[in-house]
Amino acid sequence: MSELEQRLHQLGRQLEHPPEPDVAAAVLVRLERRPFPWRTAVAIAGAVLAAAVIAAFAVPQARTTILRWFHLRGVTVERVETLPPALERSQAPGLGRALSRAEAERTVGFRLVLPALAGEPHSVYVLDDALASVILRAEGRPILLSEFRATSFDLLKKAAATKTVVEPTSVNGDPGLWLEGAPHTLTYLDRSGAFRQRTVLVRGNVLVWVHGPLTLRLEGRLTKAQALEIARSLG
Amino acid sequence: MVDRPLNDAELVERAKRGDLRAWETVVREYQGLAFRTAYLLSGNAADAEEAVQDGFVKAYRALGRFRRGAPLRPWLLRIVSNEARNRRRSAGRREALALRVAVADRPGDAVPSPEAALLAGEWHETLLAAVNALSEEHRLAIACRYFLELSEEETAAALGVRRGTVKSRLARALARLREELEEVAE
Repeated sequence: MSELEQRLHQLGRQLEHPPEPDVAAAVLVRLERRPFPWRTAVAIAGAVLAAAVIAAFAVPQARTTILRWFHLRGVTVERVETLPPALERSQAPGLGRALSRAEAERTVGFRLVLPALAGEPHSVYVLDDALASVILRAEGRPILLSEFRATSFDLLKKAAATKTVVEPTSVNGDPGLWLEGAPHTLTYLDRSGAFRQRTVLVRGNVLVWVHGPLTLRLEGRLTKAQALEIARSLG
Repeated sequence: MVDRPLNDAELVERAKRGDLRAWETVVREYQGLAFRTAYLLSGNAADAEEAVQDGFVKAYRALGRFRRGAPLRPWLLRIVSNEARNRRRSAGRREALALRVAVADRPGDAVPSPEAALLAGEWHETLLAAVNALSEEHRLAIACRYFLELSEEETAAALGVRRGTVKSRLARALARLREELEEVAE
């Protein structure tokens, strides 16, 4: 190697680099959240999209809570006999753009609520300038926490197969829903309310709850007790 | 069972069978190099991070097309670099990434004499200025090969060109640097 080449090597070691992010957890969450191909989902799916009959409706005192969810807090859970076909792999949305926490908060227009224990997130992913997500680690697994400001339109829509457990719950007195068991689909709507349907299959369990003006969503392979514990720890 | 860490080929075979822990090991092993390469190509840390994340997701899904026994590093670098270039293109960014020498002292380093520091600093700055003055394709070839310490094959993968093209770009870039430095020395 010539002297010039050696000098170039030396110079390379002195160069400034931005800090290297750890993307392993984000990659795993994205790969874990869609464990089987859409064809399987279609095979599971039959024909009928039965209308909303949420299991929780059987519980009278839960009814008003769920109705609020339906109309005010940006989340709909629809009980269906068959799941709508989820999009193919290549079309499945990622978590959005990776931004610093400050940039993400400016983009979505609210301050993120994060568990004190998890420390400062490396990146905040923002989808459609409305849905902010961070990846945390809990119980030795990556979990995904998403936040958005609920408006009068539904930002998130979930279709749950009949096998999926959907039950009302509460987090520090605020209403929430717990989805467990069979896979369900998740549909994003964009900020303008335009119905840009991008359905992905979710296999992990999900807790959705209200926190002040925000609606939060926690996804991961967690038990209900674990998910509630994390949710209660949010500051 | 084996005590030694699994090698790339073993990790890839496991990942092909759906073992995400094996893939996590691959990501952790190569994400640093992938990020530095993506940063060089995209010119922006946020784009580079996205490119690395998307690259590793796509690579996992494309493992079925990965030839058994082929080296993993250039294959990964090719996928991540494509992502990084696409981001730069779609963002319409044309300005080149200016390489800079890190100024922070590393703790624990012996304190160099003022003369040595001055000489070393000047030398680095002169060389870096010459590299930054190269054409984009020559600068990237030099940066991949010498700064990121990629092999020629990996440089070709990162730049999306043939190996022969890398060789000729490097030869021309080194010749250009020599001319430039001689001019400075005179």
